[in-house]
Amino acid sequence: MLNPKFANAMLQYLVILLDDTSLAYCHVSNPLKERNLIPIDILKKAILFGMKENLMIQYVLPEYELPKEYYDVMETIDNVKILGAAVAKRSSPASTDVAVYNEVPDTITAKNAVLRLTIADFIAKQYDIAALLPQVTRLNICLTDIETFKDEQTDDYRKALATLNAVILNQYKAGKQPQVNILTDRLQLDKMHNCEAGIGNITLAPNGRFYLCPAFYYDEKTGVSNRLNHHKPSSECSVGDLETGLQIPNPQLLKLDHAPLCRICDAYHCNRCIWLNHRLTWDNNTPSHQQCIMAHLERNAARDLQQQLKEAGFAFESDIKQIDYLDPFDVREQF
Amino acid sequence: MAKNITFIVTKDCQLACKYCYLVGKNEKERMPWEVAKAAIDYVLGHENDPDFAYESVIWDFIGGEPFLEIDLIDKICDYIKLQLFERNHHWFNSYRFSFSTNGINYDSEKVQEFIKKNHDHLSIGITIDGTERKHDLNRVYKNSEKGSYKDVVRNIPLWQKQFPGDGTKVTISSADIPYIYESVLHLYDLGIHQVNINCVFENVWKEGDDQLFEDQLMQLADAIIDKDLYKDYACSFFSENMGKPLNCKLQNQNWCGAGKMLAVDAAGNFYPCTRFAQYSLRDKEAWIIGNIHDGIDKNKLRPFLTLDRCTQSTTECTNCEVAEGCAWCQGENYDAAKTHTVFERATAICKMHKARVRANNYYWNKLYRKLELEGKREEFEANKKDVKPEIC
Repeated sequence: MLNPKFANAMLQYLVILLDDTSLAYCHVSNPLKERNLIPIDILKKAILFGMKENLMIQYVLPEYELPKEYYDVMETIDNVKILGAAVAKRSSPASTDVAVYNEVPDTITAKNAVLRLTIADFIAKQYDIAALLPQVTRLNICLTDIETFKDEQTDDYRKALATLNAVILNQYKAGKQPQVNILTDRLQLDKMHNCEAGIGNITLAPNGRFYLCPAFYYDEKTGVSNRLNHHKPSSECSVGDLETGLQIPNPQLLKLDHAPLCRICDAYHCNRCIWLNHRLTWDNNTPSHQQCIMAHLERNAARDLQQQLKEAGFAFESDIKQIDYLDPFDVREQF
Repeated sequence: MAKNITFIVTKDCQLACKYCYLVGKNEKERMPWEVAKAAIDYVLGHENDPDFAYESVIWDFIGGEPFLEIDLIDKICDYIKLQLFERNHHWFNSYRFSFSTNGINYDSEKVQEFIKKNHDHLSIGITIDGTERKHDLNRVYKNSEKGSYKDVVRNIPLWQKQFPGDGTKVTISSADIPYIYESVLHLYDLGIHQVNINCVFENVWKEGDDQLFEDQLMQLADAIIDKDLYKDYACSFFSENMGKPLNCKLQNQNWCGAGKMLAVDAAGNFYPCTRFAQYSLRDKEAWIIGNIHDGIDKNKLRPFLTLDRCTQSTTECTNCEVAEGCAWCQGENYDAAKTHTVFERATAICKMHKARVRANNYYWNKLYRKLELEGKREEFEANKKDVKPEIC
């Protein structure tokens, strides 16, 4: 999923939610429980849109089996499928497909996997997760409750990251190079490579409308904006549709150069989740304290890993510098 | 630097000024004493918090009309003074109480008692918009079209006697433009030496307003210079620090103090500035950053404290040849924005700013030529006090 070549680039991916119950594949959970399959004519139009705009299609599947004709349509274009663990188990996922796990499995069959966990579970099951690393090419760890992170959890999170680092180091020494998004991505990056919702990718929902990412669709459907004092009965979150095209208001505010904190930051692997920004700080371009702290703990763990790998003889183009802060907000005046 | 704490003591006012941005004024939302006390306790209890680590404090009281709640204000100020002393707080004797009033009940016994009691720590600005016809064009009593000029102007001598040198604040919207010249001179005649005057930030401007505005300012410039009024009087429309291009690296600071200020309303909710309270907003929801019970959610302040000029500006604004002095209101930016953000600058004021720059250039060119011809330029430059734009 990571392709540094496209960091901060133009629109590259079209994420198609095939059903309202399509599985959650990042840290944002899907609150929708009722099936609502995308009409097949909308799916066809979406594929056509993707072809005309030269976008890579990523299908997000629900847990249930789709009608056969859907697969026929889906395969009319090169694609990546994001599958639930159960679906991945009963089918033979292509090497590019991504399997999503909502709990720590005993084994992982897919080469590319997403592991969605609470922070507490990640800390509690750090050794079980570490044991999975030799089985995967790439593991994306998505913590589903970033907004609840407390500064008191800093040491525990740091320690859990170190546990994974130890296994990654051994894998490297054994000639393998497993990718773990929150640890190894930073080793490869020399500039921001974030979620890029609305910039590098856009989401199409079953209603035929575009959203910056699935989370904004969920917000619109549930009508709860989850804000401290904002309980609107409904909120329009779409940014266009297949008929009229993309119409993103204030698109500049999604970009790095319009994010005062992020543009001075070198936690290059950070999700920089605009939905979480929107939810916690109310501005898409401003990250929360929680997101910054966690990203910097990961960034610093990546630095530790880099130091250990260098001692083991691995070379890197650039060093991750030592810094004395965890939240760039605290040192913003220095930049 | 001073921390600004604003009490929205009431959302009621005797007036219903036509240009008022407070769209949600009402008689019901009056601050209970318990809320005020809890807000003070919260603020003074966070002396060591970086957000409150200012040398001094300005306790600001606004409404509506703040002096409608003079009993509450008196109680609040007494409590603040007592608490500053009891807590040995570093703001003890480093505070001011600030008011912006319509001046109608300025001479009431209770207000005068309050002034007597707190005089040395008070800043009071009475808003008078100029001549009677200009003032009464907008500043009318609620539920009637009756102008308030006569009820305000009678209090000006008392106010100027008690607070000599304090300025008044004049607001200009589209309908006021023809009266700017006469109004500023009228305020000078009333003995007010400092006239702080601003165009509203809302999108109210009509075709041709900028030319009318420029003409008025040039007439005013002529009068101020020809009658030598510049020696003793000031008008914030004319400033030497205006109308030049700005650099995005060296001159990138935000215009206002939203987020560094703290406002509290009758419900005990905290805001980054009063313009983010619901009664100030036409189209957006209030930007509540916390309350007296739970404290401040600092995540909600992060956008404000990372704001800079260029990030929120359009390319046209960042490339503008006369950007210096062009103001904005963060609350209006938020209210007018296409999305839920404080990073989209409203530009309704653009053509008015450009007109002001032209008139301002005229003013300084004319004034300096006159001074040179009289051989007084050096003396003027040595003694001049530049009028800085009022930053809220």
